[in-house]
Amino acid sequence: MSPTTVFLQQVINGLSLGGMYALLALGFTLIYGILELINFAHFSVFLWGSFIGMWTLEALGLNGQNVILTGLPLIGVLLAAFLASMVFCGVLGVVIERFSLRPLRNVTGPMAMITTIGVSYILFNIILLGAGADTKNFPNPLPEIQFHIDGAVLDLRIVLIWIISAVLMVGLWLFVQRSRMGKAMRATAQDADAARMMGVEVDRVILIAFFAGSALAGAAGLIFGLYYNFTSYIIGYTAGLRAFTAAVLGGIGNVPGAMVGGLLIGLIESLGGQYIAVKWTDVIIFSILVLVLVFRPTGLLGTLAPSKS
Amino acid sequence: MASETTIATDTTRSSSLAGLILRIRSKALIALVLLAALAFPIINGNAGDIDAMANALAFAGLALGLNVVVGFAGLLDLGYAAFFAIGAYTYGVLASWQLTPPWSSFWAPFAWLDLVQKVTQGNATVVHFTLSFWLALPLSALVAAFFGVLFGAPTLRLKGDYLAIVTLGFGEIVPIVARNWSSLTNGAAGLNGVAAPQVFGFNFGVQIVPYYYVAVGIVAFLMFISTRLRDSRIGRAWMALRDDPVAAAAVGVDLTRYKLLAFATGAAFAGMIGTFYIAKLQTATPDMFMFPVSVMVLVMIVLGGLGSVWGVVVGAMFLQLLQSWFLPEISTWLHVLGRLVGSPWLQQIQLAESIELIFGIILVFMMLYRRGGLIPAMGKQTALTFEQQNAQVGESGGFRMSGIAREDSSAAPALEIKGVTVRFGGLVALRSVDVSVPAGGVVAVIGPNGSGKSTLFNVITGVNSAESGSIRLFGEEILGKKPHEIACKGIGRTFQNLRLFTNLTVMDNVLVGQHTRLHTGPLGAILRFPRMRAEEAKARHRVIEIISNFGNRLLPRAGQTVSALSYANRRRVEISRALATSPRILLLDEPTAGMNPAETIELAEQIKDLHRLGLTIMVIEHKLDVVVRLADKVVVLDHGEKIAEGRPDEVRQNEEVLRAYLGRNAQAGSAGIAA
Repeated sequence: MSPTTVFLQQVINGLSLGGMYALLALGFTLIYGILELINFAHFSVFLWGSFIGMWTLEALGLNGQNVILTGLPLIGVLLAAFLASMVFCGVLGVVIERFSLRPLRNVTGPMAMITTIGVSYILFNIILLGAGADTKNFPNPLPEIQFHIDGAVLDLRIVLIWIISAVLMVGLWLFVQRSRMGKAMRATAQDADAARMMGVEVDRVILIAFFAGSALAGAAGLIFGLYYNFTSYIIGYTAGLRAFTAAVLGGIGNVPGAMVGGLLIGLIESLGGQYIAVKWTDVIIFSILVLVLVFRPTGLLGTLAPSKS
Repeated sequence: MASETTIATDTTRSSSLAGLILRIRSKALIALVLLAALAFPIINGNAGDIDAMANALAFAGLALGLNVVVGFAGLLDLGYAAFFAIGAYTYGVLASWQLTPPWSSFWAPFAWLDLVQKVTQGNATVVHFTLSFWLALPLSALVAAFFGVLFGAPTLRLKGDYLAIVTLGFGEIVPIVARNWSSLTNGAAGLNGVAAPQVFGFNFGVQIVPYYYVAVGIVAFLMFISTRLRDSRIGRAWMALRDDPVAAAAVGVDLTRYKLLAFATGAAFAGMIGTFYIAKLQTATPDMFMFPVSVMVLVMIVLGGLGSVWGVVVGAMFLQLLQSWFLPEISTWLHVLGRLVGSPWLQQIQLAESIELIFGIILVFMMLYRRGGLIPAMGKQTALTFEQQNAQVGESGGFRMSGIAREDSSAAPALEIKGVTVRFGGLVALRSVDVSVPAGGVVAVIGPNGSGKSTLFNVITGVNSAESGSIRLFGEEILGKKPHEIACKGIGRTFQNLRLFTNLTVMDNVLVGQHTRLHTGPLGAILRFPRMRAEEAKARHRVIEIISNFGNRLLPRAGQTVSALSYANRRRVEISRALATSPRILLLDEPTAGMNPAETIELAEQIKDLHRLGLTIMVIEHKLDVVVRLADKVVVLDHGEKIAEGRPDEVRQNEEVLRAYLGRNAQAGSAGIAA
């Protein structure tokens, strides 16, 4: 492969990863924007999304990469899997907010964040204990159709992942910008007390933010499985931390920032792995996390700055 | 006057008697626990159990270190295991065959010091590092402390949750570096053949009992240091910045310095434990220091009680023993039960595998239902007796306080503010404001809400920065200085919306106020030299002196946490704390807010007393009767501009002031300002 082909191939891979990270980063950003809370439970919600997607596909008769579908059955199966993952994770997010975070809403300090670590631990250990530590073969019904651009390979599934990520992101963007609830959400993020006095039901807004963010994490979990053809209890932590870095890089609390940050982190991961070394990828990503927080805490597009204390 | 002295000595005497009993009781308890710890290997000879105890003690040491960072200073550190790793590799690399540079004369002095050996391998002569375990303990503490400062420094500007993420990032980076830097660490395979400790030629080898006793010694030492630091000027500064960083800076706590000190102390504990841990294991792999370890230590201190020295030790030991001792034991019983009832599921159950699930449940449960932990850092609060509440003291004689220098009112002004402009984005909060506060005078600042009064105070004390202008304190420029430096130079203040250290007692709140006037450093706090004891006793005496001025309102409550006080009493504590900084100028931001008319008059009189003692005072006040009673001069702000200045009666007639208060069309004569 020529150097340009290699580069192009890594950009293709990076954009696919980036789409997934962006979906996951949106959840961090939505919740941070409103509650100023870093939600570690999001890691495990994503993990559950991946497993629910896998179990749904298996329940629909798919097994590994043996069953290939086309046309309407393929669309139906994918729709069912995405719907199952997203609804389950959305509800999971709502339950987490209602029962473990709402009681702590007015408690200062790191208490709420520590709680989300605990919730995350509970959720991923249920998977670990229930499904085991081995890597799971993820069902993938997509036909092996490849496009060639300048020698680089573009799989059909990558195109699909791009389309799905784009649709979900645009959908969220329209929801936040255009809908009545989206407006209430932005108002709550700016000033919850003022929003409450204007008649916004802040508790409901928070629940909906958790639902939307968690549902996107569910979709991202399924995309992870479709992209890599595997899933495992460990992915919540590794992918979650990268997506969190993406949210910070774009400017946490900022919806377009999460999308840009996600794509950038995806590209950094694939290009860094190619041109530096895979074993240093995490060091690069976490160094970016530290450097952004220290030198530009508002991120690339950020509006919400961490206040000095 | 006589009654006041009586109550003061009375409180001291009764508290010292109760204190004596408490001290004896806690000493006895400590002796008992220590005895039990020493006797344990004799009572229980099972090597596996002793090993479990030694590991549990190692984690107790880690918990004590993280407790300094999270519990005392309130800085959430999610990458604490990084320091554990740094301490471990410091000893591991310097006491194993990992590095064998070729021998040269450069190494001769080290060989003479017994730090290295000259060894012939085949036909090459190489250096073999043989750092003694006992030297490695303090050395790895120092190395880890250095990294604590290094990792902590960039995070200082960040608030709590961002800080946690940065530490998490470092916590991820350190084990990856350890894994990838194979030439130094032997990568994922781990260091091999780390030397066991020796004492007078006796090698610990793989016997467990000596390690156990070393662990007991280290944990006792770290508990001692934790307790001494907690109960000193250092610990109070940590807890102050944990509870309210803005107020801590306003009484002179250098936030940067104390945050770094907390990071360094916590890291040093972990470094020491790292050395112990791998000397015992005689190997070290990067996997031993990953994120789950950081979380485990966090669970330990949350379970035990954030900020509670005994609590975190109990929490750590309980969780470690649960994992390595109790759960496997229970699993064995369940297997037996499973065989009896013929259940294959019971026969295979391994409870220890679910330890992380248990960690998660503990975190959530404790946060929701028992945030203080098993042994909370704050003791139970006993309600005051009827007599204590109704003791009448200090009603006569006015305010008395030593250490207020009478300022020479004919000299240069105490505070000279010139052309100060403060802008928040597009909003001009203060526009070219000039105010002069004469030495020994009382200046009141009034104005409608949002007129910039509190901003004026904030810019004087360095909380907000100004775009332009100059602020001189007795001729010295203070604009641009940090809040703690300004406090140190002699400006004490209170806040409009009360900023107390809510988890500290009245006594400790006012003690923190004396921070800049005391000198005990970390070493002094740990060793408690006679000079430090005297300083501490004097500081406590001064607290009594200050709060006695409020009669029975604060004195009987000196040992209560301020969150238990009434609103008016909290205001009095805040004023006491500001007075404890020994200010040359006192800035009071709406001191009588939330007080009833009688309390308002009482406080106004007390402020007047302070003025008579010679203190220069600047006060923001809405109650104009208080202003008239107190002030020599009134400054009126409106929309960030000074619209009037003068004697109270002059200002009351000023048309612009009337307009600002009563609206554009109000007639000057129609109402006047309600007095």
